[in-house]
Amino acid sequence: MRCEDARTILVEVEGGERSAALREHVAVCPACRAYANDLEGLRIGFRALAAQSVPEPSWGFAARLVRRLDVEEWSRGADFLEQVGRRVVYAAGLLTLLLLLALVLPASGPLRGPTASELYWAQPDTATLANYSILPDETLESRELNSPAPNSSGAKGKP
Amino acid sequence: MEPYRAERDPQEVAWIRGAQRGDREAFGHLVERYQKRVFSQVFRLVRRREEVEDLAQEVLVKAFRAIRSYDFRSSFGTWLARVAVNHCYDFLRRERAQPATFSVSPGDRDAAQPTALVDKLEAPGQDPERQAVLRDLVGKLLERAPADDRVILVLKEMEGLSVEEIGEILELRPGTVKVRLFRARKRMLENWRSLRQER
Repeated sequence: MRCEDARTILVEVEGGERSAALREHVAVCPACRAYANDLEGLRIGFRALAAQSVPEPSWGFAARLVRRLDVEEWSRGADFLEQVGRRVVYAAGLLTLLLLLALVLPASGPLRGPTASELYWAQPDTATLANYSILPDETLESRELNSPAPNSSGAKGKP
Repeated sequence: MEPYRAERDPQEVAWIRGAQRGDREAFGHLVERYQKRVFSQVFRLVRRREEVEDLAQEVLVKAFRAIRSYDFRSSFGTWLARVAVNHCYDFLRRERAQPATFSVSPGDRDAAQPTALVDKLEAPGQDPERQAVLRDLVGKLLERAPADDRVILVLKEMEGLSVEEIGEILELRPGTVKVRLFRARKRMLENWRSLRQER
């Protein structure tokens, strides 16, 4: 058996499961015997570590953990509400800003359409003209009598 | 320690189902049942007494948040061990990335050095003393080992789990576990031997 193979088997196998060939090699090869001894030392060290005392949970550990979960659940809900509320405020602010910009700023570019403000100020004129069409005829007639049109007087003066 | 593949206890199943619905009291019963095992795993992996309680609490909080993903395919103990191992693994990697902040007095530093432990090992002594030296030396080597090696060696050599159980916890095939275990043992042994040669 080669030393390399013997050492591979020594690392792989659990303690006490060595074949006759391996035992024979370890008995005659001092280097592999030292390797096997070191490996055994490691195993003893691990066993001693495993036997070491482990810290115990302090009294009321489980109850404290449940309380922590309660607090976390509550704060997570509050965080969610806060996040949603903040988004609503941001969205409302943005919408207001956009509305103000649309009202105040004139449209730019080669084809200039009527702005919202122009449309707003044009409304009373339109409404006045529309009112004429719905006025009763007699009202129109009386208006003509009281204030004759400037070009009608010129026509009357002609022979 | 309880076996990892225990018979499924109907009471435990009820607690798990309750916890999956968000019942924190039900989860509290599971904590009471498994807290010692979680403490032991965390301590063996991290090896810092002062950190164990905080880390165990973080593990169990993480487990509560993730309990809906538990599908009863493995035992609850195995699933919880997976959460604990992953959390400790992340902790060890973070620790490795940060420079050490604690200070050690010169005398303590000499005593804590693995080479000093090797010296003690060579000195004639009684068995219990030798065992204590071997324990401290293996502990030091374990602390210096990469996180992957440390996890697999602790699960095998200290928790006494089978290759199959380790595979379930680490979500690896048994063949892969064997290969990793072999490499981890070999690296540790090489470190041990190089310490002896340094002297």
